[in-house]
Amino acid sequence: MLHQDSYKQHISGQFNAELEAVKNHLLEMGGKVEQQIARAVESLLKRDSGEATQVIAGDQEVNDMEVRIDEECSRILARRQPAASDLRLVIAIAKVTTDLERIGDEATKIARQAVKLSEEGKSPSSFLEARHIGSHVAAMLRKALDAFARLDVDMAVEVVIQDAEVDSEYGTAMRSLVTFMMEDPRTISPVLNEMWALRSLERIGDHASNIAEQVIYLVKGMDVRHIEPAQLQAQMQSSGE
Amino acid sequence: MDTQAVGSLQSKKNPGPLAWVKSGEPMIWINAAAVSLSVIAVVGLMALLAVRGFSHFWPKDVLLANVSYENNVRPILGEIVEVVEVPRQQLEEAGFTLKGSEDFFQRTLLKQGNRDFLGSDFVWLINEQLDTPQYSANAMVIERLEWGNFYGYLKSVTRDGVLIADAQENERGAWEVFQSVIADTLAVREAIHTIERGDIGRINYEMERLRLEERSLELSGSLDASAQVALASERAELDAQYKVLQEQLYALYDGIANHSYTAILADGREVSLPIAKVVRAYQPNGMNVADKLAMYAQRLWEFLSDEPREANTEGGIFPAMFGTVMMVILMAIIVTPFGVVAAVYLREYARQGLVTRIIRVAVNNLAGVPSIVYGVFGLGFFVYFLGGELDQLFFPAALPNPTFGTPGLMWASLTLALLTLPVVIVATEEGLARIPKSVREGSLALGATRAETLWRVVLPMATPAMMTGLILAVARAAGEVAPLMLVGVVKLAPSLPLDGNYPFIHLDQKFMHLGFHIYDVGFQSPNVEAARPLVYATALLLVIIIALLNLAAVTLRNRLRERYKSLEV
Amino acid sequence: MQTHAIEFDSIKRHSSAEADGPVEASLHVEGLNLFYDQSAQALYDINLEIPKRRVTAFIGPSGCGKSSLLRCFNRMNDLVDGCLVKGKLRLEGDDIYAPNVDVAGLRRRIGMVFQKPNPFPKSIYENVAYGLRIQGINKKRVLDEVVEKSLRASALWDEVKDRLNDSALGLSGGQQQRLVIARTVAVEPEVLLLDEPASALDPISTLKIEELIYELKSRYTIVIVTHNMQQAARVSDMTAFMYMGKLIEYDSTDRLFTNPKQKQTEDYITGRYG
Repeated sequence: MLHQDSYKQHISGQFNAELEAVKNHLLEMGGKVEQQIARAVESLLKRDSGEATQVIAGDQEVNDMEVRIDEECSRILARRQPAASDLRLVIAIAKVTTDLERIGDEATKIARQAVKLSEEGKSPSSFLEARHIGSHVAAMLRKALDAFARLDVDMAVEVVIQDAEVDSEYGTAMRSLVTFMMEDPRTISPVLNEMWALRSLERIGDHASNIAEQVIYLVKGMDVRHIEPAQLQAQMQSSGE
Repeated sequence: MDTQAVGSLQSKKNPGPLAWVKSGEPMIWINAAAVSLSVIAVVGLMALLAVRGFSHFWPKDVLLANVSYENNVRPILGEIVEVVEVPRQQLEEAGFTLKGSEDFFQRTLLKQGNRDFLGSDFVWLINEQLDTPQYSANAMVIERLEWGNFYGYLKSVTRDGVLIADAQENERGAWEVFQSVIADTLAVREAIHTIERGDIGRINYEMERLRLEERSLELSGSLDASAQVALASERAELDAQYKVLQEQLYALYDGIANHSYTAILADGREVSLPIAKVVRAYQPNGMNVADKLAMYAQRLWEFLSDEPREANTEGGIFPAMFGTVMMVILMAIIVTPFGVVAAVYLREYARQGLVTRIIRVAVNNLAGVPSIVYGVFGLGFFVYFLGGELDQLFFPAALPNPTFGTPGLMWASLTLALLTLPVVIVATEEGLARIPKSVREGSLALGATRAETLWRVVLPMATPAMMTGLILAVARAAGEVAPLMLVGVVKLAPSLPLDGNYPFIHLDQKFMHLGFHIYDVGFQSPNVEAARPLVYATALLLVIIIALLNLAAVTLRNRLRERYKSLEV
Repeated sequence: MQTHAIEFDSIKRHSSAEADGPVEASLHVEGLNLFYDQSAQALYDINLEIPKRRVTAFIGPSGCGKSSLLRCFNRMNDLVDGCLVKGKLRLEGDDIYAPNVDVAGLRRRIGMVFQKPNPFPKSIYENVAYGLRIQGINKKRVLDEVVEKSLRASALWDEVKDRLNDSALGLSGGQQQRLVIARTVAVEPEVLLLDEPASALDPISTLKIEELIYELKSRYTIVIVTHNMQQAARVSDMTAFMYMGKLIEYDSTDRLFTNPKQKQTEDYITGRYG
């Protein structure tokens, strides 16, 4: 089966290097995006507009990385005409970069809410949910990227399943924040900001899940994008044998 | 710019002799030298043959000189053949008394002709014995059917026993009368020849056929009275025809028998000779270049188109040429199908293995067997065994006279076909091997059988190779002499192997061959000196004929090759 | 040894070609073993079915037996001394190796085009008419018609219609190869075997041949052997990967080139050390 060294066994060493480079660039981008999320959540929790501004500025770097990786992918497609696992790798990378770029955008959005919150002052919420969901999706993203780096399907499946947890956590958080708004209409504005941030975090979870699905496509050649997590698990078990 | 890189391209070493050897230039020079030598050899050979051979037909001037030796003076008339330098000692040892004191003497070979009066045509004279030669305009040369050339002066011409011209009265007029009588006589001789060769030949042939018919009827026991009567009546008819022709012949012979001319020899003797034996008469000293050229062409044409006479030392070589070409063509007709079929079998059908390898080695070795061995084989197997059997089977009527049981054209062609078979097989096989497998497969893949593929695609593509084989075969066969002496060539064949009598090609006849003709004229003739130019001329002709045959085949091959050119990768 | 029955629906599902009507098998191979000598086995237990009016490609490294397999179909291997075929091959149910088979007739039903263009040293017209003349058809009217039809079918008519009597050897490599295809099509075969038909041609000629293959597949079952994986990917509906005389994987081209099941296939098509 496909494993990490698979991409170092081409007869063409140049091809090996190209694939390795684009993969590393992707992981690098992933690292950058992870960092963006962490800092955005941090700025949100601390209402640190300085940090938040840095996050917003950092998104440009993420965008540049996406463009560069896309270029590399199209170059490999044009020049190497990859087939089978190589083809899947390049396609997966192209798609994962899109997801990462979106994650970067969401991190920017969170940072914007942080700026607004820092300007508006008090919020009744303790940002417990944001802290919790934030760390959860950050972990998911890290796991998805790890799964990509290690070509680990089991890990990817875990990410997809975790996304369901994030969704339910998000629902709970929404309900509690709505309660705040109902109790004190003055809090509507800051709470709405927090809700926007939470929504961004939930979207990040979705993107992480997409990345995990690409890992499954990459390793197994199966398209699992529109399958329920339970079914997915069952399928993975059956095809794993 | 990097000057060092530029500098490194130039040779730093001094060009010593070793460098020159290493440069490969000596090889080029050696190659060029080898090629030049070959060209010089070929051109030289052809030039020698051409000069020695074809100068023979040029009408040379006739000189009159007095030969004085030991107080003995005699006039001599003739043409110079060659002049050589000989050392004094050699002449003294030969018993000559020499006047001069030089170490070397010029010696002249003079053709004096008149063998019937002087004994020998040629005479060696030491130049110091000769006085200043004179070239008299009315010195006359007469080529004759017998006794070689005549050299002398015309005195008078007699027609039907009547003196009609006297040179002492009217020199020019007498000469013209002489020429016109010769022309008339030649016309009559031509008529005689036509009757003898054509009509009488046909009658003889018919008579022979009747004899064989009678004999075969006799052998089969069905020679009854009616058959005898029928045969007798046919024979009587032929006899009657023969009688008529014979009368004509006698009349013609009689008509020219009494033409004669009187001539004066150099020593003043007066002789009278028949005009019927004259081929042509001319006065070379009085001829200008145009006349001589015309004479030259006439004599050359005679050489090419006439039959030989006087034991092959005079006249033409047409029968030999004809026999050579005929034999080569027959050989080609026999050897091509045999060789091609054998090669096709070896290459296309036979399982490649030990047996085919052995056969190939054997075939290649056959090419190295001396040709005389083939001659012996041809004589033993073809002539005596096959020919003998054929005679028993098909020509019992002619026995004990052999028909095919004696050397003849067919056996000669067969023997040479056998001799050249390896060449054709090897060349054809190579041609077949060169045809790409893909073409055969293409044909087979379209549903053609192997035979169809072979016939429609492979063989046409192999034709250039077959032609190459045939060219080599023809070149070898045309030059072969040794085996032919055993299986069919004779020094003088009475008739051509191709004529108007059924079955037109007479495969059982013996024939003449240029190669053998050269040998015969050069070494077996009674008059070697007279024949030497003919040897050269004949040799040149043989070379030309082989070259022409080859040229025809090469042209054909190149045309074929052009057709299949882009297929050869 | 596993068998490779075709999942013909997969062709319909994955093939870019429109699936018209049900797909049947044209050639069946069962338990085929090929020996070039008593000791040298070239093919090991091959089982596969070639779908009708589809393009099936055989890929694999040199010497893997793909050409040998192709040559089994029209019994070209018969020409090799000591060649032995074991197993069943059937064309539309007829046993190809039955003892009473007319091999020439079989080869008219299964035409073959070779790696190097191999036109006969004859005119363009005679090249195309060759197969018919072999069958004894010499009527000018019939021949004219077939020659034109075949040359049109192989997209060569417009290029050569004014010089039908010129030598076929004067054509370019690509034209020669299309002429060879026209020559093969002229005898109306059911199956076309193409043995690396474009490997000696330049890219444009190669594309023309590929386009031609695409057009011809509506009428003929086409089996193509190729060294060029991209070519197999471009032209074929089904692809078989062979290695060391064994059929490793046989699947729809789309699947074989995106997600092969066997590691050997994967390594080969992605250019890895096997």
